[in-house]
Amino acid sequence: MAIFNAPFFEIDKEETKRYAGLRKSEFDEKLIDEACDLARLIIHPTGNWELYDYDARTQTVASTPPFILEGESIKKHLMGCSKVVMLSATVGQEIEDKITSLFKEGKYALSLILDAAATAAVEQNADLMEKAIFEKVSRQGYKMKWRFSPGYGDWPIEQQPEMMRTAKADVINVHLTESMMLEPRKSITAIIGLYLIEGTCPDETKKHNCEACDKTNCLARQNTCM
Amino acid sequence: MIHIFDGAMGTILQQKGLLPAGYCPELLNVDKPEEITAVHQQYIDAGSTIIETNTFGGSPLKLAHYNLSDRAREINIAAVKAARAAAGDKVKIAGSMGPTGKFIKPLGDLDFEDAFENYKVQAAALAEGGADYILIETSIDIQEMRAALLAAKEVTSLPIICQLSYSEDGRTVTGTDPQTAAITLDAMGADIIGINCSLGPEQLVPIVKILSENTEKPISVQPNAGLPQLVNGKTTFPMGPEDFGKWAPKLIQAGATYIGGCCGTSPAHIAAIKDALKDFEEPKFKPLRRRLMVASRSKTVVIDKELPTVLIGERINPTGRKKLAAEIKDGSFLSVKKEAMDQVKAGAKLLDVNMGVGGIDQAQAMKKAITEISQLTDAPLVIDTSDPEVLEAGLRAYPGRALINSVSAEKERLRTFIPLAIKYGAAILCLPLTDDGIPKTAEERIEVMNIIIDEAKKAGLKDGDFLLDGLVMTVAADQDACNHVLNTLRLYREKYGYPATMGLSNISFGLPNRPLINSTFFSMCLAAGLDAPIMNPYDEQMQNALMASMALLGKDPNGRDFSTNEKNLAVPKKAAVAKHEELTPVEAIKQAVISGDADSMPELLERALAENIDPNELTEKALTAAMNEIGVDFGAGRVFLPQVLLSAEAMRSAFNILKERFPAQEGEGKGTVVLATVKGDVHDLGKNIVGALLENSGFNLIDLGKDVPAEEIVATAIKNDADIVGLCALMTTTMTEIDEVIRQLKESGNTSKVIVGGAALTQDYADEAGADYYAQDAVIALNIANDIISK
Repeated sequence: MAIFNAPFFEIDKEETKRYAGLRKSEFDEKLIDEACDLARLIIHPTGNWELYDYDARTQTVASTPPFILEGESIKKHLMGCSKVVMLSATVGQEIEDKITSLFKEGKYALSLILDAAATAAVEQNADLMEKAIFEKVSRQGYKMKWRFSPGYGDWPIEQQPEMMRTAKADVINVHLTESMMLEPRKSITAIIGLYLIEGTCPDETKKHNCEACDKTNCLARQNTCM
Repeated sequence: MIHIFDGAMGTILQQKGLLPAGYCPELLNVDKPEEITAVHQQYIDAGSTIIETNTFGGSPLKLAHYNLSDRAREINIAAVKAARAAAGDKVKIAGSMGPTGKFIKPLGDLDFEDAFENYKVQAAALAEGGADYILIETSIDIQEMRAALLAAKEVTSLPIICQLSYSEDGRTVTGTDPQTAAITLDAMGADIIGINCSLGPEQLVPIVKILSENTEKPISVQPNAGLPQLVNGKTTFPMGPEDFGKWAPKLIQAGATYIGGCCGTSPAHIAAIKDALKDFEEPKFKPLRRRLMVASRSKTVVIDKELPTVLIGERINPTGRKKLAAEIKDGSFLSVKKEAMDQVKAGAKLLDVNMGVGGIDQAQAMKKAITEISQLTDAPLVIDTSDPEVLEAGLRAYPGRALINSVSAEKERLRTFIPLAIKYGAAILCLPLTDDGIPKTAEERIEVMNIIIDEAKKAGLKDGDFLLDGLVMTVAADQDACNHVLNTLRLYREKYGYPATMGLSNISFGLPNRPLINSTFFSMCLAAGLDAPIMNPYDEQMQNALMASMALLGKDPNGRDFSTNEKNLAVPKKAAVAKHEELTPVEAIKQAVISGDADSMPELLERALAENIDPNELTEKALTAAMNEIGVDFGAGRVFLPQVLLSAEAMRSAFNILKERFPAQEGEGKGTVVLATVKGDVHDLGKNIVGALLENSGFNLIDLGKDVPAEEIVATAIKNDADIVGLCALMTTTMTEIDEVIRQLKESGNTSKVIVGGAALTQDYADEAGADYYAQDAVIALNIANDIISK
């Protein structure tokens, strides 16, 4: 187990814009700055990861008790992986409350962009965790697949409780509602496959996971999927 | 002299079949010491002059994985003995201490003190066993390195080698760059500073070079045999001994004098290093000029007479600031964090942190402030206190090299502060003040400064550890106060060459137009040798004086920054304002909505109403027309959601004003919409956006919020005779609730039209659920609502 709370000297403005649905358009940078600065003050970023052996043939994570992954897309994604990292991350409840109160005050755009900044921040925390994980596992020659979460492709969201259990998301105070939602809302769980491959091959984590998602009209969908 | 370390130990033990699954590698030191001695012997035969004990995972925290924590001392002593059996008295032994595998707070959940105790146990045992060096290695966190270094220094006087691991971007995983590592560890008293693991020799050459440019301590380097690859199903490091050996001269050339190998290296690699360095002549390096450098975890700032002025932000100080003091007292620290962020934005390069609030545990407050600010900005910190306990709390928590504010010539201050500066590797701000008071003239101040610097140097501080305070008094009380400061600054530079600092605003106390006095004084001081003013970075006049002085003093070559700064450009941008005036009032309001300009709305509406334009006409031809236009642009992908929302804010502003002026029109909206995120779903931003667009387009909106039961939605629709019911669900797990709401609505005989939307929904799903409409986004929802009402 390893807890990781990323420092935030900045929140990625480009990602914030993308999550807010602002593609290459002109937009008041001040409002983006305001939202990103505000976000930094009220996020409580934290994450946890757990490492397990994985049997790709039976799609089984060797936790106790074992966790059998369902669906073709996760099977395909983790083909050839012999270990997996179960990761959870959050930026806490305070920013969620602020997003809500700002909207009520009529600051619609700031609220929306703050929501996007919170998303960018959760991802940023997870990216840094990934970097730390890579440092650890690359010494044994492992390469990493990109983060994959329940709900991607045909991986049923109903497996979220098992994700929570194996990622030990409760240690960072992330919980699940009856309808499989993470609370605080700006939280993620994900699985990262680790694989060994002959020779060298490019790092796959850089690939964005938009292409795994079937929501083709998403605001934040990247047009430049690799 | 060049020293040769050994290479990997674990790989050889594995090859020999000595490490069955689940067995602790360090336990071999006790169980089969002769096997460990044999590996050491191979490396000594290959040419190692320093061998490393088999104790990488031998700290109590690591041994806990095998339930062996309580045997840490025994295991570490046995490891040194096993090494000594091979080393004899010719070869040196470095007692290895690896990482805990956890991150230290606030980056992780391991308490600094627990890490410290952990390494204390291991370092003491390694020393007791007879090691010649303590080697802290493979650390990816400067804070863990600091804990281990402080621990080792507390229990032994052996020389300590500090080796961090860097990633391909040239920083440790937790963000520390080699310059920062070099200055932080050097100041804390590391004896040898280096790098191991992660990368191959090629990638480590530039890092070695940066280390050697920032410290005169010896540099050690132990690369992996390249980057790992899988060959025939096994993880291997591709670089053979010969290639590896070829890099040895380059690493020495870059500044290393201790060299060995890490993962994937073998006795053959070490032999290759020895061979490659056989006739190699060690390069001579010029001595470094020690400049004042302070550092956060991930950034070094140099304060030097040859470099641009470094602004020290003074705002994190509760003196005379009730709100800040109250927040520090109640532990919320929000304003502290905000001041940190805002000052850095305003150009502060260092931040002064003062927690001088009465009636609180200031040491605890300082620790918390230092910890929180370090997570928020990479500006190095200045710990501002007169209490040694508070100072130590701050220094201990700080993952870098701090500046202490301040050390005077008062006896108690010298006695308590200087040892802390040395222990934690901090620089000191020297204040020419004695137990007898403040010396007046420059000459007297120099005398006092001599006392401080002598004492500090006697204790072990060096050039590069000092920042000298000019000590500003009030000119209203002493007409020569300014001259004394200017003379002091000149003498400081002449006599010591150390950089100078001061708080400035005291000069103008009791005078009118203080900003003018302050900024003029500031310019004079910059010319006389002020390098790092402690000031309010939001003060525009001071910032202007600084900018102009930089251009005048040649620190902004050719005034390039000055010339490109917008403040100094002659033509103010007023084009946008003029534009409104050229338009008709209706058109101007429409444009303001389209451009999302809520601020101009009151003025524009006043103008329109003054011209007796009918409010209905305004609503229709300006507001609604604008929203329609935006809707079309949004649909075509010409504008995006945040812009639509800014327009909605402008609409809101307009409607609020109209409602205020013409209250009779209230309730005469287009129709009533009941809006809700269904039961089980807590996502409501999307629904809120739909609500905002509807409400600001004249609909009467009843927003029930999120996680709303079907019964409540239906009852509200009936009670208010709703024209439209809008339902939202984000997820596949919650969208089935939409079916339920529609079923109950139909059962109740209610005839409102149902619009559904949300990330997981589709037209097909909406059709099957029996919804009247599916809206893919908020603008489409608005269009549908308009259509429904106009039918």
